Formats: sequence, structure tokens, C-alpha cells
Amino acid sequence: MRYRLAALASLAVFAIWLPYGVGSYTIHVLDVGLVFALLAVGMGLAMGVAGQINLAQVAFFGAGAYVTAILTTKSGYGFWTAGAIAVAVSAVLGLLVGIPALRMQSHYLGIVTLGLALAFLNWITNAEVAGGADGISAIPVPPLFGVDLSSDYLYYYLELAAFAVALAFGLFVVHTSLGRRLRAMRDDALAASAVGAQIPLLRMTAFLVAGSYAGIAGVLYAGLIRFVAPETFSLANMFLLLAMVIIGGRQSLVGCVVGAIGLTLIREKLVDFATYAQLSYGIVVVLMVVFAPTGLAGVPARLRSIVDRRRRGGGAAAPELAAFQPLAPSTVDLPADRPALEARGVSKRFRGLKALDGVSLAVRAGDIHGIVGPNGSGKTTLFNVVSGFYRPSAGAVLISGQPAGRAGPYQRSLSGVARTFQNLRLFRTLTVRENILVALDRTRTRWIWRYPLWPVSVVRAERDLGRRAAELLDTFGLAGFAAALPGSLPYGTQRRIELARAMAGAPRLLLLDEPAAGLNGEEARQLARMVRSIRDSGVTVVLIEHNMGLVMSLCDRVTVLASGAVIADGTPAEVAAAPAVIEAYLGDAELSEEMAP
Amino acid sequence: MQVTLQTLVGGLSLGAIYALVALGFSLVYRTMGLVNFAHADVVMTGAYVASTFSLTARLPFALATAVAIAVTGLIGLVIERVLRPLENKDFDLMLIGTIGFGIVLQSVAILIWGTTGRAVPSPVQTAPLSVGGIRIRTYDLVVMAVAAVAVVLLMLFLQRTKRGTAMQAVAMDHEAATAVGIHVGRSNAAAFAIGAGLAALAGALVGPLLFVSPTMGGSLGIKGFAAAILGGFGSIPGAIVGGLAIGVLDSFAAGHFQGYSEMVVFLVFTAIIMVRPTGIFGERTVSRA
Amino acid sequence: MSGLTVDGLTVHYGGICAVRSVSFAVGSGESVGIIGANGAGKTSTLKAVMGLVPRSGSVRLGDQDLTGVRAKDMVRHGVGYVPEGRHVFAGLSVEKNLLLGAYAHSWRGETRTTLAQVYEMFPVLAQMRGRLAGALSGGQQQMLAIGRALMLRPRLLLLDEPSMGLSPKLIEDILRVLLRLREEGLSLLLVEQNAKLTFGATSTCFVLENGEVALTGSSQQLRHDPRIRRVYLGL
Repeated sequence: MRYRLAALASLAVFAIWLPYGVGSYTIHVLDVGLVFALLAVGMGLAMGVAGQINLAQVAFFGAGAYVTAILTTKSGYGFWTAGAIAVAVSAVLGLLVGIPALRMQSHYLGIVTLGLALAFLNWITNAEVAGGADGISAIPVPPLFGVDLSSDYLYYYLELAAFAVALAFGLFVVHTSLGRRLRAMRDDALAASAVGAQIPLLRMTAFLVAGSYAGIAGVLYAGLIRFVAPETFSLANMFLLLAMVIIGGRQSLVGCVVGAIGLTLIREKLVDFATYAQLSYGIVVVLMVVFAPTGLAGVPARLRSIVDRRRRGGGAAAPELAAFQPLAPSTVDLPADRPALEARGVSKRFRGLKALDGVSLAVRAGDIHGIVGPNGSGKTTLFNVVSGFYRPSAGAVLISGQPAGRAGPYQRSLSGVARTFQNLRLFRTLTVRENILVALDRTRTRWIWRYPLWPVSVVRAERDLGRRAAELLDTFGLAGFAAALPGSLPYGTQRRIELARAMAGAPRLLLLDEPAAGLNGEEARQLARMVRSIRDSGVTVVLIEHNMGLVMSLCDRVTVLASGAVIADGTPAEVAAAPAVIEAYLGDAELSEEMAP
Repeated sequence: MQVTLQTLVGGLSLGAIYALVALGFSLVYRTMGLVNFAHADVVMTGAYVASTFSLTARLPFALATAVAIAVTGLIGLVIERVLRPLENKDFDLMLIGTIGFGIVLQSVAILIWGTTGRAVPSPVQTAPLSVGGIRIRTYDLVVMAVAAVAVVLLMLFLQRTKRGTAMQAVAMDHEAATAVGIHVGRSNAAAFAIGAGLAALAGALVGPLLFVSPTMGGSLGIKGFAAAILGGFGSIPGAIVGGLAIGVLDSFAAGHFQGYSEMVVFLVFTAIIMVRPTGIFGERTVSRA
Repeated sequence: MSGLTVDGLTVHYGGICAVRSVSFAVGSGESVGIIGANGAGKTSTLKAVMGLVPRSGSVRLGDQDLTGVRAKDMVRHGVGYVPEGRHVFAGLSVEKNLLLGAYAHSWRGETRTTLAQVYEMFPVLAQMRGRLAGALSGGQQQMLAIGRALMLRPRLLLLDEPSMGLSPKLIEDILRVLLRLREEGLSLLLVEQNAKLTFGATSTCFVLENGEVALTGSSQQLRHDPRIRRVYLGL
């Protein structure tokens, strides 16, 4: 930590001293570089952190610059007033462009944002008020208490201040709960919604932030060059910005800054060989994408993992899974009159395939209830309906007596439903601790407003979350793995992390989808112990399993599904003896008679 | 009414070009699930190569076009081979990789042919026809005819030949395709090469219609992309319908909004896609389960 | 032994060890079953034999070492594969699906003869030859998947849970097809959850539990073995 502060302090001193040591041409280039750095940070927040393809960033930039230009030259507004309005306009534009992100992702989003960028370019090239192809010149120098900001040296300090605040805010967002939710959304939107992330609002937020940063960059640009024209906001510059973010490392804000300033300097150095420069950006982007997708910013981490691996080979101990600490048993009596979960005639069709056919079952509060059945019998489909990922084609689901209606996974998570997934869905780029922190965070999405308005409360909440995370990690014996990435850990450990993450939301109903898959005998026994402890602490557990030995010894009641319908429901012993069940599994009820001991 | 019909007809030839571009996008997407943002620059490369061979080397237009298709086919194979490791893994990264290739193609074009661009004379120098009071340029008819032939050949390939059927099978289920002995990697490479070839054809044909410049891929490619998505990404009939629709929309927008026509086209496109994200015929691609 | 010999087959994926050093053999003209509960590793075993998942251990067919052979080349060595869940090419016609089974050869001459024979074995496919495979019922798709695998006249046929999602009547039809294939001298390796079908169609059975062979014996004997019920139902 002390190294970090020292490094930061020396960087700050260097940055402040820099103008004294460089010529006027270089400082101008640096000023442009800082503008692009701001743009890159905004883009990194949307694309790298939140995973939203944003190819309209250059349009938001243009909006900020042009609104400033128009309001100061044509409507006589003061520079700062115009600038404030410009940032607001860019932010709103970002929000509008974010609306398509609600309905589509990936390449669709790419083409829509690119198209909107072209539309903007088309508008400013033609509109009279925007000066057409000639642009707008003679933008007034921003006034600042008598400081002459027409000097590139002094303008540098203005930009540096704005940039430092913007970067600090960006880093603050990334390392706290909003940033974690965005990163979880990027890694696995489905799992993120199951732990309480409201995906649509988060996507809009990403675009809002990207737009705001680009707006600020646009205002600064207008004040620096004091001339705006369509060429600056062309597709070529959009792709240059993209190259900056990819080469620097889109998931790291500092990487984006390095990429932006680096490429700006290189571009100026190679201004006589502009086309060769462009060619090399293209080649570097392709190479990076195939060989180094985390960009330059990812290099330290990769070096560290190589060093670690070598050190590990020398006998350093790997962290171990500690024992599970039983949870405190519940002192509150669960309501005996209402089932914790009830399905009434639930059917689900997919284009003619009937996955669930009139499934009715009731899970008593405080039970461990098993759902079993041959391959393709609809078990996971049922879970998806209960946790809100699918809407039933017919029938209803009631949770603690309340109809779940059309509530999506986010709302169900907030009302006490948690689940694990058949094919582990941990957030790959988040550490184990961060995976837990995301799920522990029960705040509504509207709390995002605390960030700009009351950031101190965010810091306080972080400390509280950190404390609770440490407790949960200890409970599940995962303390040794807190800083590790889940993908590098043994399978059994990953299963336990997913269980801990599900429990982090303090659910009343826990759905486990094949929790014992791939576990050996000892791990399966540990799982059984954990599930019993969880039940004793007041949580109703429903689990899908194929490991029949586990199901029979662990579950209070069992429901058997075959071809989407319930064929048996009762205690494990009752169900195992039912002819319909034997037929479904073995193919012939008569076999059971032949096999009677 | 006259004006409307004239505008409609005027939009069809450019629409045929957009349809060819969209076909290239859709074929690659349908078989590999890859969105190729370099496609637009491949169109531009095709335009330059064809016009270079027909103007400088004095080759007949058809032969110059064939050379362009061969060259871009090779480019397509290179791109597929380089990006193959990403194929079923990170979709967004693959997309960005193709953007990188696009930048490379553009730079190379500028280095070889300069930035000023060139005007390509129409290979057909006859007077325009007049049908019921509507002017139809002969070259427009040539474009539409060639595009139609290309589409028919593509459909025949996909539906009547062994390799074409295999290409369709790979798109539907690549594990089952492997189990019957199909080399998925080679099939994808072929799809990519054909997609690039279609782009080159579009580029060669569009030379006489628009101005050939290194940045021409931008607007043309994006409209072709939008056409593919509008028709239903991955659907062959969708690419054709989408292309023609965008061509006509473009024509009407140019007529009514002049300079703002691009903005109008993209706003309309965004609105339609918001309402029906999978396009007119629905999206068809590899299942990435 | 001129049949299939599998030795020490091991499959890892997603961090789990799905198949732990499994060994078995299918004699020439013999039919062998692999049964067990879900998650026992049956499908992984079959996919590993076919080379569709990374594996360690050895796989030999007759005197040929197939250990290094990639999945797409297995057909050329006489191995036919009927995947779990059918996996027919839904957007192509029945006839195209069958022809694709013979992709490794030319579609003229002998392939056409084989096609006629497949139509004769499965008359329902002949009736539906022009229909899209996606429009067929589950049972018909299963017939199509088997027919497709027969197009190159394999020596060994691998079948992965052909009974999945089918009614008892259709399962009877599958059994009849498998018995007929046995008569024609084809070696069969059948992976199934449905014990009844497997005992009827095979002469030897291996029972998998947690990726390992737990029981083995002749189908006739295993049919009456109470341990089978424990493996499936836990009680």
C-alpha cells in the first residue's frame, strides 16, 4: 500500500512538472492526448467493464464539442454554461443510445451504435447550424478567473484536473459495488440477474456514463482547439479510439489511459507516415485480440501468474479448503400453513416441444425436497420457471404463498429466492471474494445515485460488505481462496463457492441444480452436511440430483418427473418403490419384481 | 406516382448491391456465427482491384471482376485462419479482431492507391431505356442481372452440391457434422472465402455507380450490414429482401431529405430493429450452446 | 480379437473426471451395452471412443490403433455414430440427412445402393424422404439418425441413448431395428439409461457408476441382479 501511495505521489509530481520540460508542440499533443484519455476511460467503462459494445462514443464526443461550439458562437452563452449543457446533452444522448442495448447485445448493438454514429456524422456535415463541412470556428477561450487558457500550457492544468477527477471517479466505481455488478453482468448476465443485478438499468447506466465522459472530453476539446469540424468525429477516429482501448486493455481504466496517450504520441511522431501508423494499429489490434486479449494492462497479471507458477513448483503451499462452519440454527418457526414453494399446473412449451406438462407440486417450508427424473424430464426447465428465467405457458408458481407472476430473476432474488446452476456460473474475472460481494449486495439499482451525490455512503457500505464477506468466506471454509480467480480452482471448491454465493443473498428458498455432479464420495458427504445445516438455519432447500444415494439419504420428500410430468411424489422410500418410477428409469416395472431380494 | 416509381426503380440497383453485401455477411454469420466487420473493407478492396484491372490492365470488366473475387477470396481465407482460435469462444473479441483487419485493409488500400479515389466509367455505354416514362439505366439492369445470377448460383451451391449441403449442416450442428466426417474448419474457411467473393462482386459492380475511395466501405458496408440484420441475420432470402428494402429506403430518403438521407436511413433502421430485433425472417446461426 | 478394444479410457472436462480408466471390449459381430444412472459417465465414454472429447487411454478397432484418430476421420475407419438426442440436421431434408452420412464418399454409385437399402430397412424414412428432418417426430428422427450412421456401412455402430424421450411402443421398434442390425453382423456398442432395452438388445453389459465400471456380466444374468436397482434408485 505504501508503494502505491509513493508511486501515485511521484506520478502526480511528474504530471505537474511536465509542462516545464516540454516544448509547445509536445504540450499541445499532450492536451489532445488527455482528451482522448478521457474518451478512452468512458469507453472502457462501457465496453470493458460493463461489456456493452459502444461504437458511438465518437458521436457523444462530437455532441459535447458541437453543442459547446453552437451555444457559444451562435447563441451567445458563456463557455462554462454551454459546456454544462453540452455534457448534459451527451449524457442524454448516451442514455438514448443505451435503449437499444436493452433489447440486443453484441453485434446487433455494434451495428446500431455504429449506425447512430454515422447518423450523427451525417447530421453535422449537413446541418447549417453546425456549419456543415466547414465546421464552427472562433469558439471563445474559456474564462477562468483571469487565467489565460488560450495557452496550451495552462490549459494542460485544467485538463489534468478534470482528468484526475474523472479517472478517480471511474476507478472508484469499478472497485465498489456498482463496478462489481457491471463486471458480473459482463461475465454472465444470467447469473448476475439471479443474484440481484437489474440488467436493463445497469446497461443504461453504462451508456450514460460513457456519454458523460465523452461529453466532458468534447467540451475540453472545444475549448482547446476552439474549432470543430466533422473530420474529427469520423469513423476513422472511432476505430482509432477502439484500437486505443483494446491495445491498452479495455477492462482496465488505467490501461485505457495508457493506450490513449501512447497512441496519440505515436500518431504525432508518425504524422508523416500516417498510413503506416494506421496499418500498424490494425495489425496490433488483430495480434492483441488473438494473443493478448487483456491488452497491455493484462501483461503484469500474466507475468505474475508465470512467476507464481514457478514459485509454486518450488514447494510453496497452495491454499486449502477449510472445514464448513455450521450455520446458527433458526430460532423462528417457519409458517406451517403455507408451502415455501408451490407449482400449480405449470406447463412450458418451446416451439411445439412440451418441456413441462401440468406440473403441480408443493414444497413444505423447512423441508429438503428432491426433484429427480431421467434425462430430459424437465427438471432444469422447472427450476428456470421457478427462478423467473422462463415464463410458464400455463399454470402458476407461488413462493411463500405469493404468486410470483411475471417477476423476473432480479425481483425473485430480492424476494428471497437463490439458486445454483447445473453448469457452474461463477463470474470468471471476479475474485472469489468479489463473487461473494456481488451477491451480498442487496441494494436496489436506484442506489446508483449515491455515487455522484453522496459517495461517502458508498465507502461505508463497502466496509460493511467486506466484513460480511469475510464471515461468509469463513463459514464456507473459503477464506484461503478469497483473492483467487474461480476458474483456476478445483471443481469441488468452485461448487462450494457457488453455494456460498447463493447463500450470500440470505434466501428463504434455495434451489440447487445438480450440486453433487462431479463430486466424489467424501465431497458429496460434505455437501449433505452443508445442506442440512442450511436447512436448519431456516432455509427451504429444493435440489435436482442424479446421485440417488444422496437424494434418498438427504431429502425429506421427493418428486419424480418424467417427460415433463409428475409421476410420483412422496417420501424417498415411497417413491423408490413406485412402479411408475422404476419403469421410467429402468424401462420395465416388472424388472423390480425380478430383482426383489 | 411517376416520381415514386422512378425513385423505387432507382433504389433497386443500389439495393441489389446492398443485397450482395448482406449475403456475404449473412453467409458467414450463418455458418460460423462470426460477424465480420471487415466485410465492408473487403467490398472496397474488390472495387479497387476490379477497377485497377479494368482501367490499367485493360481487362474486360467481367474478367477484372473475376480477378477481384479471387484476390478477396484469398483475403477471406487469411482472416478466417488467423481468427480461428477465437471461433467458438469470445464473440466480442472476434468482432473486434475483424475491425482490426478492416483497418489493415483500408491502410493497405491507401498505400497502394492513394487517398483521392477514382471514378470508374460504366462498362455499358448504351443510352438508358425508357419504360412507361421511367428511365432505367442499362448498367442498373446489368447490376441487377449479375446479382440475381450470383444469388441463384449461391443457392444452387448450397442446396445441390455435396460441399454446399455440408456447409449448411455445419451451421446447423457442428458436432453432428464432425461425426459424419465433415471438416468444420475447412468448411468455415470456404464459407468465409465465398462471403469475401460476394463482397468483391458487390465492390466491382458498385464502382461505376459510386465513387471508389478507401473510405467507401464505411457507409456501403454498414448499410449492407443493416440490410442483413433487417432481413434476419443469417437468412439468405432475408439478405435479399433486406438489401432491396434498404436500397429503396435510401433512394426515398435521398429524394426527400437530400443530405440527411443517411441519418434517416439509420434512424428508421434502429426503429425497426428495436421492434423486431431478429429481423423480418428471423435470425439463423450456429447454436452456440 | 477383431472388434473394438478400449483400455484405460479416461475423460476430464470442466474440472471433473467423468470417466476413470474404463476398459471394455466389443467382439466382432457382438453387441455390448453400457448402462447406469445419469451422470455416471456413459455418454462421455461413448463420445471419448468417437474422439469427440479429449481422452487418454487407448482405442483399437481390430488391428488398427484409433487412439490418435480425430472424430471427423472415425467414419473412414468404419465407425458409425448415433448421437444422444438424435442431432439430425433439422433444416435439411431426410434424404439430404442420409446422404450426409455418406459425406466421406462420393454420392454416386454405391452410396445410392446403400441409400435404397436404408429406405428398405426404414420404410417410414422412404415415405418422408423430401420432408425437413426437423418436422419428423422423435421416433422418426431416431430412425433417421440410425439410418444416417449406416450409410457408410460401418463395422461398429455406436448408439447414445436412442430411447431418450420415446414412448414404450417406439422403444420396441428401436429394439427390433437393433436386433436386425445384429443379425446382419454389425457390432453394436449401446449406451443407455433404459436397462430393459439394453438387456434385450445386447449379449454383454457393463454398468457404470461415477465414471467407473461397477458391474459386468451377460445381459441374461444382470437382468435378475438386485444390484442393478440399487445403482439406479439408490435403495
